[in-house]
Amino acid sequence: MKTLIVIREQEYAWLRDMLPGVHPLLVPVCNKPFIEFFIDFSIFTGSKAIRIISDGLLGEVERYCENGSRWGVEISYGSMQPADELPTVIDKNRRFCLEERVLIIKGFLFIHYDKKRDYTTLFASLPSGELLSCCHGSITLTGTVKPESSSADIPFSLTALDTVGKYYSLCMEILRSELTNYVIPGYSSEADCYIGRNVVIPKSAEIKKPVIIGNNVQLLANTVIDTNSVIGNNVIVDRESIISGSIVMDNTYIGEHLEVKNKIAAGNLLIDPESGTSIVMEDPHLLTGMTQSRAAGTLLRRMVHALAATFMILVLLWPYLLLRPVLGLQGKWKRVRETYYNDLPGKTVTLTKTTIDSDEPLGQLAKTLSLDRFTLLFRVLSGKLALIGYHPVPINPALRIIPNNTTGYTPAVFSYAEAEDWPEIGIDTEIVEHYYAVHGNPLKDIAMTQKALFNRNH
Amino acid sequence: MIFHLDTSTGQSVGIVTLKNRIDASNSSELQKVFTQWLQQASVFIFDCKELDFIDSSGLGAIVSCLRKALEQHGDLKLAALGPKVSMIFELTKAKKLFSIFSDATEALQSFSTVGTK
Repeated sequence: MKTLIVIREQEYAWLRDMLPGVHPLLVPVCNKPFIEFFIDFSIFTGSKAIRIISDGLLGEVERYCENGSRWGVEISYGSMQPADELPTVIDKNRRFCLEERVLIIKGFLFIHYDKKRDYTTLFASLPSGELLSCCHGSITLTGTVKPESSSADIPFSLTALDTVGKYYSLCMEILRSELTNYVIPGYSSEADCYIGRNVVIPKSAEIKKPVIIGNNVQLLANTVIDTNSVIGNNVIVDRESIISGSIVMDNTYIGEHLEVKNKIAAGNLLIDPESGTSIVMEDPHLLTGMTQSRAAGTLLRRMVHALAATFMILVLLWPYLLLRPVLGLQGKWKRVRETYYNDLPGKTVTLTKTTIDSDEPLGQLAKTLSLDRFTLLFRVLSGKLALIGYHPVPINPALRIIPNNTTGYTPAVFSYAEAEDWPEIGIDTEIVEHYYAVHGNPLKDIAMTQKALFNRNH
Repeated sequence: MIFHLDTSTGQSVGIVTLKNRIDASNSSELQKVFTQWLQQASVFIFDCKELDFIDSSGLGAIVSCLRKALEQHGDLKLAALGPKVSMIFELTKAKKLFSIFSDATEALQSFSTVGTK
């Protein structure tokens, strides 16, 4: 099975006008980019390859989805003419559509599905033709059906998205009754409540379900996140403010003593989904957008890391030159080359990881001095690695979540998790690493490196 | 800002028509002239049908006007809030401070109801 997603620019132009700055296909629906729902649905139907076709620009979408390895599918992109009808689009993509059943999703619409159902078997049995349609699009199957199979009820429905009111209603509908049907980002220890990483919640804050809170969110004292609220990533809700039945988009600051009720707040834009009225707030202390300008801080951090790495190289050079050949001859110095995700999306870094058998005194000494990381220190000087940061994540196409998606991911010689003595893998480790990546500073990094050096040996 | 007195309800009601926008550039002026208007009336209607935008300083000025009116045992009511201005009042919870009417006539009638009571 393959999936062809055909969306015309004019179908989502209204959303570009309403929420400028983010590609409409990446506009979050319950904190999950819209296009990801299509990708998930395609995967549930058994698709191994997805092609996204539009007459508009897809650069941002392409940068976000890349080749689809994060989902374990192959994603490609294509263009079309605004006047092209569906048969023409299929004809232009006939090589993609050849020899396999193709699911064609046409239009800017939302597919209500349930991840718990077996769509793979169902779609293999459904006859070719239009399965479902609404005013702005349709879902069609092409290709031959297996002879033994029979048609069944179609357990999904469509919602056309053509106004901000429909977008808001859709988010609320999912939040109220369909949360378990989709893969929603965030940690959920109880029903109807999803909370992302690095969320600061003071004791005085009140959160009422159903709710979705993204990553890097700071709620200040006495804030109330009332029912049916979606808080995006990188959001600050200042003290004594109330968010109720609202969507707060990524990178938004909500000032203190405010009440955002049944609205969409996106940066300094406040939208009333019912009337479609939007207002650009001129007071930054009420509502404003937040930009992540951490370039200067990052540069300083890198310089401090490089200086500390230089110091460590100078200190460890002689022990390394003495112990490395001996342990090598004894076969206790083992090296493996592996490719890891880099801090830049789409970039990778290949590292040689060393393991030392520490069952004898020499090996123990080398391990105590962290000589297994010695060569990696040079990568700090070249800027490929941080001295301390994230445990490098190996490239694995089967991984659904890649670290590039996490703000602040920087592969490092030593990890914050080591400093805090957490095991190297697991969600808790990621949270620890992410916390220090966001809240750390160069001096704290030096202290954490010392801690990591100490903890590695105890 | 246009000010006129209405006596049709039996009491002097100051009707202020706010226009375009009230922001940092003209909010202090509103507060200043309101002190003068207070000498002619103690109850007021701010007709906002031509008001397109208000920022926090404008909002502060209107709240200040309400406070001054209340200090003189008067009142200040708002009429014909546009959708954008209404959103600001709702966001800042200022809507809870004011009596808001769909138009100036309705606001005026509310004063006469209060008067007959």
